Amino acid sequence: MVPGGPGQIASNATVISLTAARQALDFDELMREHRAMVFSVLWHFLHDRDLAEELAQDVFLSLHKNMGAIDSPAHAGHWLRKVAVQRAIDAGRRRLRRPQVSLEEVREPFVRPPSADPMLGDMLRRLIATLPEGPRMAMVLRYQEDLDPAEIAETMGIPLGTVKSHIARSVAMLREKLERRGVGER
Amino acid sequence: MDWLEEELTQALARKEPGPGFESRVRARLARRPQWLPIAAALLMLVGASEAWQQYRGYQAKEQVMAAMRIAGGKLNRVQAKISGGAQ
Repeated sequence: MVPGGPGQIASNATVISLTAARQALDFDELMREHRAMVFSVLWHFLHDRDLAEELAQDVFLSLHKNMGAIDSPAHAGHWLRKVAVQRAIDAGRRRLRRPQVSLEEVREPFVRPPSADPMLGDMLRRLIATLPEGPRMAMVLRYQEDLDPAEIAETMGIPLGTVKSHIARSVAMLREKLERRGVGER
Repeated sequence: MDWLEEELTQALARKEPGPGFESRVRARLARRPQWLPIAAALLMLVGASEAWQQYRGYQAKEQVMAAMRIAGGKLNRVQAKISGGAQ
């Protein structure tokens, strides 16, 4: 490369723009922007508010440690989502409160059929919390984060077909259980 | 999107953690580095102790070697005197 030539100028510009992007990454700002996403992935998956809060803090401590490897706010969001998913799955496995069951074996909740939407939301969250690990996380990422199946597959590190199957079977199971109780006949 | 998917989107909408979340993360960040200097000091102590032990071992070895050289020299002289007397 010729010193001062177009190649070097372009290279310097890239370095400067990368440096500027990194400087623009403010940890507090990233926390404000992504805390709800990180906390909600953990909470919806684990159904334990205290544990979700503690793990969400762990995720941000990990981000702080790895700030040097983060290139942009978008990269930070992607990185945080992936780490939150992994922490949630790890915590779920450690907890081992709930043995893995197949979708067909999922019990119906003991609550009466809800007559109002807030109760339906609560019922849905409880039903989702009883799903096995893979379908549960796929549902959280699909309906909380509005990710498409390809993005979910990439985030969870599982095949696209598995994600589609998890979502389709989970939604069908939820629909069947709700409709059997007279919910959702609109 | 049908009614169930709409309900799912609402049920799984993002929620905020408790108030003061950032402060709690900051507090943990402030606590965490205290371990680093302690761990570094401990490592240095262990390393220095190891080096000192090696140095002491080296010194002892040198002293033994010097003693053996002196004893060897004396033995050679005694042997030379005995050999001279015999002749």
